[in-house]
Amino acid sequence: MTLSDSGEARVRGYLYVLERSLRSSLPPAVVADAVREVESHIRERVAEMDPLPDERAALERVLAALGTPTRVARGYSLELSVEEALTTGRLTATLRAIWLMATKTAAGFLAALVLFTGYVTGGAFVLLAAMQPFMPDRIGLIVVDGVPHGFGMRDAAPGVEIVSGWWVLPLCLVLGLTALVLTQKGARTWLRWIRTRIRTKESP
Amino acid sequence: MSLDVWNEQLRRGALEFAILLTLAPAARYGLEIIRHLESFTDLVITEGTIYPLLARLTRDGALRAEWSAAESPHPRKYYTLTSCGRRRLDEMTTHWQEFSAKIDRLVDASGGGR
Repeated sequence: MTLSDSGEARVRGYLYVLERSLRSSLPPAVVADAVREVESHIRERVAEMDPLPDERAALERVLAALGTPTRVARGYSLELSVEEALTTGRLTATLRAIWLMATKTAAGFLAALVLFTGYVTGGAFVLLAAMQPFMPDRIGLIVVDGVPHGFGMRDAAPGVEIVSGWWVLPLCLVLGLTALVLTQKGARTWLRWIRTRIRTKESP
Repeated sequence: MSLDVWNEQLRRGALEFAILLTLAPAARYGLEIIRHLESFTDLVITEGTIYPLLARLTRDGALRAEWSAAESPHPRKYYTLTSCGRRRLDEMTTHWQEFSAKIDRLVDASGGGR
């Protein structure tokens, strides 16, 4: 059968939501292929359905059997993003997969928070190491009124002493790179666990 | 664990095996796979979630996917078992037969589960 204009608009709307949901996390070629396949499924089902007495109800049954577009998209995006991060090992792919997981569950959000803290801490130490030769007097152990208050960069002020020296650069570099490597390893271990969970939870 | 959860886990665990079995005799497209599964099992509850699973099996190298516009007014994506997929299916079939035989023996030994 051929759909009426309103039926056609309903199908287009479904595919639009699917495409938008997939586009946030997947490469354009994968999105286009997935949308094309789901459209083929809908067209096939529509061709065999009986439009009488109510085309709209018949079409809604087809779309309900398929599942909501966001649910279909979730099946693609979560696993593909995790897979890409694990296969390529790229930091951007890893961060994208972590971000996606953080938006899905509370446990994912907490894990992502821990991992982002690790990345930021590592990045901050590496940045301090890079800046240390240019401002050696401002980067080091910050002591306020004789009490250590932390490690980092601060302007000199009354009562504030910056304990610094040649050792700051290698120390920052080692701490930063260690934090980055450990966080990346932790992220990959976590994503491998997530991949196993996703595969055992696929629920058609 | 409730019976529903247990059933759900069985269904999830068997689905990948069922898809490979469906594709063993010939290439099929998505809806054809769903129809075949529906005619033998109740493994497919939401049709749309079969497609991510087919995409994953293709990515893993168990299936090969190819678009064809020859047989219908709209293009269909056909899936075929690769040699890797066929090996995987053989291994899964062996494991499944051994596993089900053991459980059957256990059920028989317990007096048919009653």
